[in-house]
Amino acid sequence: MNKLFKYSVLGLTAISLTTSCTKQLDLFPEDSIELTQSFKTMADANSWDLGNYNRFRGIQYGSYAIYADVQSDMVNATLDYGNRNGNPHRWGQSFLSDDQTLRPIWAGYYNVIANANLAIQNLSSVTAPTVADKALINRYLGNAYFTRAFCYSELVKRFAKAYNPTSANSDLGVPLVLTYNVASRPARATMKAVYDQILADINLAKTNLATVNPLIGATQFNRNTPIALEARVRLMMQDWAGAHTAAETILAAGTYPLATTQAIINAMWKTDASNEVIYRPAVSAPNELPATIGGVYLGLIPATGRFAPDFLPSQWVVDSFENADFRKLVYFAQLNLTIQGSAVNSVWCVNKFPGNPALFTTANTNYAHQPRVFTVSELFLISAEAGARSGNPALVTQATTRYNQLRAARGVSAFAGSDLFAAVRNERFREMAFQGERLWDLKRWNMPCVRSSPQNLSIILTNPAASFHQLNIAANNDQFTWGIPSWDIIANPNLVQNPGW
Amino acid sequence: MKKFGLLLTTFLLFLGSVLAQTVTITGKVIDDKGAGISNASVQIKGAKGGTVTSKDGSFTIKVPQNAKALIISSVNFTPQEVSIVGKSTVNVSLATYDASLDEVVVTGYGAAKKRTELVGQVTVVKAKDVQDRPSANVIDALQGRVAGVQVFTSSGEPSATPSVRINGVGSLSGSNTPLYILDGIPVSPGSIVSMNPEDYESINVLTDASSTSIYGARAANGVIVFTSKRGSAQKTRINVTAQYSQSNLISNTQNFFNNMMNAEELGKFWVASGYQTQAQVNTLRTNFPNDTRWADVYYLPNRPTEQVDVNISGGSGKTTYFVSGSYFYQQGLAYRSDFKRYTLRSNINTTINNWASMGLLLTGSYDTRQLNPYGTNNTNRGLALLAPPFYTPIDPLTGQNYTSTPIPGWNRFHPNYLTDNVRSVGENMQLTPQAYIQLSPIKNLTIKTTAGMEAYDYNVNSQTLPSFANSVGNGNVSRAHQREVSRTVNTVIDYKFKIKENHDFSVMVGNEFIDNTDRNFSASSAGLTDNRLLLLSAGPTQRNVAESYTGYAFTSFFGRLSYGFKNKYLIDLTTRQDQSSRFGVDNRTANFYSVGAVWKVKKEKFLDNARWINELNVKGSYGTSGNSAIGNFTSQGLVGTNIYGGASGLGIASPGNSSLGWEQQGMMSLSINGRIFKHYSIVLEYYDRQTSNMLVSVPYPQTTGFANINGNVGKMQNRGWNVTLNADYGGKDWSFSPYVNFNYNHNKITELFQDRNYWIQANTGVLWAVDKPVSYVYPIFAGVDPANGNATWFLPDPNPNNVANTIKDPTKVTSTFSATALQQNTGLDRYPPFAGGFGFQASYKGFYTQWDFSFVSGKYLINNDRFFYENPGQFPGFNQFRTVNNFWQKAGDQTQFPRVGVQFTQFDSRLIEDASFLRAKAIQFGYDFNRIIKKNNVITGLKAFVIARNLFTFTNYQGPDPEVDSNIGLGTNPNTRQVSFGIDITF
Repeated sequence: MNKLFKYSVLGLTAISLTTSCTKQLDLFPEDSIELTQSFKTMADANSWDLGNYNRFRGIQYGSYAIYADVQSDMVNATLDYGNRNGNPHRWGQSFLSDDQTLRPIWAGYYNVIANANLAIQNLSSVTAPTVADKALINRYLGNAYFTRAFCYSELVKRFAKAYNPTSANSDLGVPLVLTYNVASRPARATMKAVYDQILADINLAKTNLATVNPLIGATQFNRNTPIALEARVRLMMQDWAGAHTAAETILAAGTYPLATTQAIINAMWKTDASNEVIYRPAVSAPNELPATIGGVYLGLIPATGRFAPDFLPSQWVVDSFENADFRKLVYFAQLNLTIQGSAVNSVWCVNKFPGNPALFTTANTNYAHQPRVFTVSELFLISAEAGARSGNPALVTQATTRYNQLRAARGVSAFAGSDLFAAVRNERFREMAFQGERLWDLKRWNMPCVRSSPQNLSIILTNPAASFHQLNIAANNDQFTWGIPSWDIIANPNLVQNPGW
Repeated sequence: MKKFGLLLTTFLLFLGSVLAQTVTITGKVIDDKGAGISNASVQIKGAKGGTVTSKDGSFTIKVPQNAKALIISSVNFTPQEVSIVGKSTVNVSLATYDASLDEVVVTGYGAAKKRTELVGQVTVVKAKDVQDRPSANVIDALQGRVAGVQVFTSSGEPSATPSVRINGVGSLSGSNTPLYILDGIPVSPGSIVSMNPEDYESINVLTDASSTSIYGARAANGVIVFTSKRGSAQKTRINVTAQYSQSNLISNTQNFFNNMMNAEELGKFWVASGYQTQAQVNTLRTNFPNDTRWADVYYLPNRPTEQVDVNISGGSGKTTYFVSGSYFYQQGLAYRSDFKRYTLRSNINTTINNWASMGLLLTGSYDTRQLNPYGTNNTNRGLALLAPPFYTPIDPLTGQNYTSTPIPGWNRFHPNYLTDNVRSVGENMQLTPQAYIQLSPIKNLTIKTTAGMEAYDYNVNSQTLPSFANSVGNGNVSRAHQREVSRTVNTVIDYKFKIKENHDFSVMVGNEFIDNTDRNFSASSAGLTDNRLLLLSAGPTQRNVAESYTGYAFTSFFGRLSYGFKNKYLIDLTTRQDQSSRFGVDNRTANFYSVGAVWKVKKEKFLDNARWINELNVKGSYGTSGNSAIGNFTSQGLVGTNIYGGASGLGIASPGNSSLGWEQQGMMSLSINGRIFKHYSIVLEYYDRQTSNMLVSVPYPQTTGFANINGNVGKMQNRGWNVTLNADYGGKDWSFSPYVNFNYNHNKITELFQDRNYWIQANTGVLWAVDKPVSYVYPIFAGVDPANGNATWFLPDPNPNNVANTIKDPTKVTSTFSATALQQNTGLDRYPPFAGGFGFQASYKGFYTQWDFSFVSGKYLINNDRFFYENPGQFPGFNQFRTVNNFWQKAGDQTQFPRVGVQFTQFDSRLIEDASFLRAKAIQFGYDFNRIIKKNNVITGLKAFVIARNLFTFTNYQGPDPEVDSNIGLGTNPNTRQVSFGIDITF
């Protein structure tokens, strides 16, 4: 063979060897973008804002509500409950800081906070050429501040003691993380510092959202949402005047009339009618489904149309609603159950969250509802409780009015007794039952958690009685405050665990 | 050399013709047992002429007076030169020819080496030793075959991919899977499942740095090289193998199932434990007068496997071919579990001219697979035994299984009905083509370019039929499509040369480019109303789409310099540079190297007289390599999308780490390879693997927004011994070849992260502690207090930093359980330190048999099943193990379980069980009809055999299967026992 040819083959190979590898090594995913590239344009800012709403929706309902409610005094576990959500229900040794539901709740709030911090840090660097753009950026910032305040208020409600004005300077709250920094190992801030931060964020949100008009059933944060949150927070702080003022700011405007018929109340809970809603996240099937509550209380068996709930309301819970109360047959239904293979008919079940058919993805319910995060009825109760506890005669009078207005709307009689605060407590329990507030209200009110009068002893767990239907937990029990997840206790040496965990 | 030889011959011939005086030599040629060898060739060295031996091995030959030696040779014997100077009688004993000395071993880039020239530590598994198994995956059969290689099949799913670890565990958070190379290109472990196990010629396991470092950033876990069969120009043959087998539960699983209580026992227990009153139980048992063994409902017996393999190989002139086709069908024991595979392979190699050759190796397969969808934690299979025996799957009205009505009491559909109505079938189409062209433009120089692709399309078609009782008239369907394509192109230049007579050099340089793209999309719809109309388009509602992409690329250069002195001292130097898209921008280039040497001691003069040593090699090597299984885009801080109000939003998806890189490994090994007394071969290897810059999913406080961020932190070491002993005995009619191999590995973490001396993997029971092996950490159970029936646990070291210590002080116990506060090192290793295998092959006349056992010792597994089956307080209303009856009732009771009201079973040391096992991996009996087949028959070979896989297992593990390679055994779909009958016909 021709030598020249041979050597040219050799030469070509050598060249190909050194040049064949110029392929790009800079590969990027196609379903995400680099963080450093994500705060450039107004479109980016808008997307971050939508992301913020998406995450806010993600921390509503589901275990965020169920876990505290099954720990409370309202329900009994059925024989078929299979230990689902059983750890908080039984208290004591079964409920530990490495609980696999506590951890995602804690992590869930802090993930939303991390994103809100990123938005707060970076939104102002987005190119916003017009005045309208700048206004939008401010609105997005307001949304982020509002979200952060909401998350801290929920965290501190669960993972710290009830706020005590006299010891708030030394009581431990939760770690405050205000900038995105994966290297931070924050210690727990004091209760006062946490609440001060929440109020500071609420104030920034109020300023930035001042021009966003409210709307019944709004799915965007607006000027009323930080005020509604402020009312909640100040009630937790025992700032009666502040809570009253915040609640009345919205109530006085009369934007959200109370529903006054059973039909409308039914529609509010069954088909997500927008009445009374100050804010609720947008939802839609199949891509924007929220976490749900109803499954544990209903447990529909589709093939038979019967039900196998994990938890049943105690008889006293059902009985606390007068028959005239519009809410009674909205919140509860007498259903036919199958427990351990046997039919048990006409048992009261929690039917407040049966699933909105508009959100079903199959023939059967998926229990999905648009979470009613802020509603005006809660503000009536805040105003009433703050007023009743304020000792200020003018506020007490207004509290009685608000109490009576809500009662009237629900078809029941006005205040008649002597203990307005006790009446407001009971009304708050009824109105907000199974929305995840009961346990925290007991903690706030320094009341014990006592289960009693189950509906039917033969279909609920009774052994050991002290863990189930005869649970009796003193008001000062450590487990009223959830343990900080052990993951964080270990990963962050600066954290101090709550007593008893 | 050739010229010199020719000269010599001419010279001798010249001398011969001049002198032409002859002498007569007589003698006898015998084998190593003293029997005469007939028809052996007897040649005069350096002269023409010769003779052959007679029947008894004797010969007579006339040789020129000046002739100095005879060369005696015979088929199957090593030729021998024997001096005849001053002798008239010579008796020669010929040694059996050891073909393995000329065996060629494929190790990496560049030309294959003779086994005798290998510097690296390579274990060759002849595929014929691991074939004909009733298993889809050839890797399963490697269990117990190679010292240092641990193979576990964690599931009885027919399409399961076994997990493989070589020489210990190199990575804590990253992959421990070796790199798989098929005929020179990398393939994924899953691809091996999609290929025909009968297509391989050999499986070579590369364990030391000298042989693996050339694979750079992918080599730290070792390399397994699969070589497919080639045709031979000498013989053309058609081979057909057919097999049928039946699968059943292994007896360990049966024992596990037998622990469940029957109806009578469960009823009594419910009353005794106060869960129900006698009246309640009576009512229940009146309503449900059954006693069902649910294991028999959820697992099926005698499930078939069918295998057919046809291959045709041969060649003529310059072209050889190997073409094969196969069919494999296996049903799992759980419902909706099967694997059906068709494969086709065509290997064609041709020599184009005297300086070029090429080959085309095509393999394609199509398979369908169903996996039981009800996982470990699901009461529709994994935890189905929780079903109380009172209920029955048989509808008394029909006498048949319940169909559209859930099983009363159990409230779940019969698994058969679920199988029929909720379907999901995976469909895999795989193509792994490759081609090479090899040029030799000048002598001793070869340039080989190989281009290969591993590509598959995997479709999953899932349907919930419109008739399904849970959603009548509202079926839903979804279809997911995945296409993964890996392309590899490499060019390797080899040049061999000698300097003087004794210095052999070979130089190899090459480059390689690998790129991988993995795309998925899926669509779904709902609202289907007709079982006959099940396409996506038939669903009017809930229409949804999703798509994802991932990929990576490597660009690499590499080289090797081999030097040999007198074929006695051999040295290999290798180097490689990898650049990869996976590495963070601050850390893109990885460099690796290795040094290896062999001293062929037997070639030294001082061993000339040690006749009992046939071969003795001392090897040593040190080298570096990497583990780049760190995820494709993990180094990047990424923002992902979500939806709110029908519009797309953004949020942080992963924090990233711009300095993220490969795990580094330095590995040293020393070994002695030898063959003594002709029959025994021995490999003794010591290795020391040091992993640093480990990829660890480093725990972060969740207040950062993340629970873990990947980083390169920490160090770990694995030191161990590999021992392999093989023996071969044989005679005219018989053979016996036993083997044993084992590995002892000591794993130790030497450094962690964030200055910690330990880290506990939350909810896994796994502890990483400095100076300790990866261990199990749990509260240690101290027994039930006979006085009050409380469960008690030992208090750990009060200093939480000393969790790695174990303290069992009977005076320091507590009855207050806390998973975190009480946990301490149990001292039990997560990864078994001792594993191996043994067995033998034997034959007598036409009969042959092969026995393969594998064992693992020091293996521990958290038996999470017992948490469910021995926990009546936690799982009220469900069936439980009989053992729960042993609970405390009155003061003084010595019991296994505490009083009612105290949780019977917690996640503590009681659940950690010794899962060491000895398993009869394969036992085979066969008869080879070759001896009774006439030579000129159409059929040239016929074998019939029976083979049993996993026939029996010895273990103390109480769960369904000890082979699960995990920290936790829960709802395992267990390995199966198969008995198979097959025939093998050659034309």
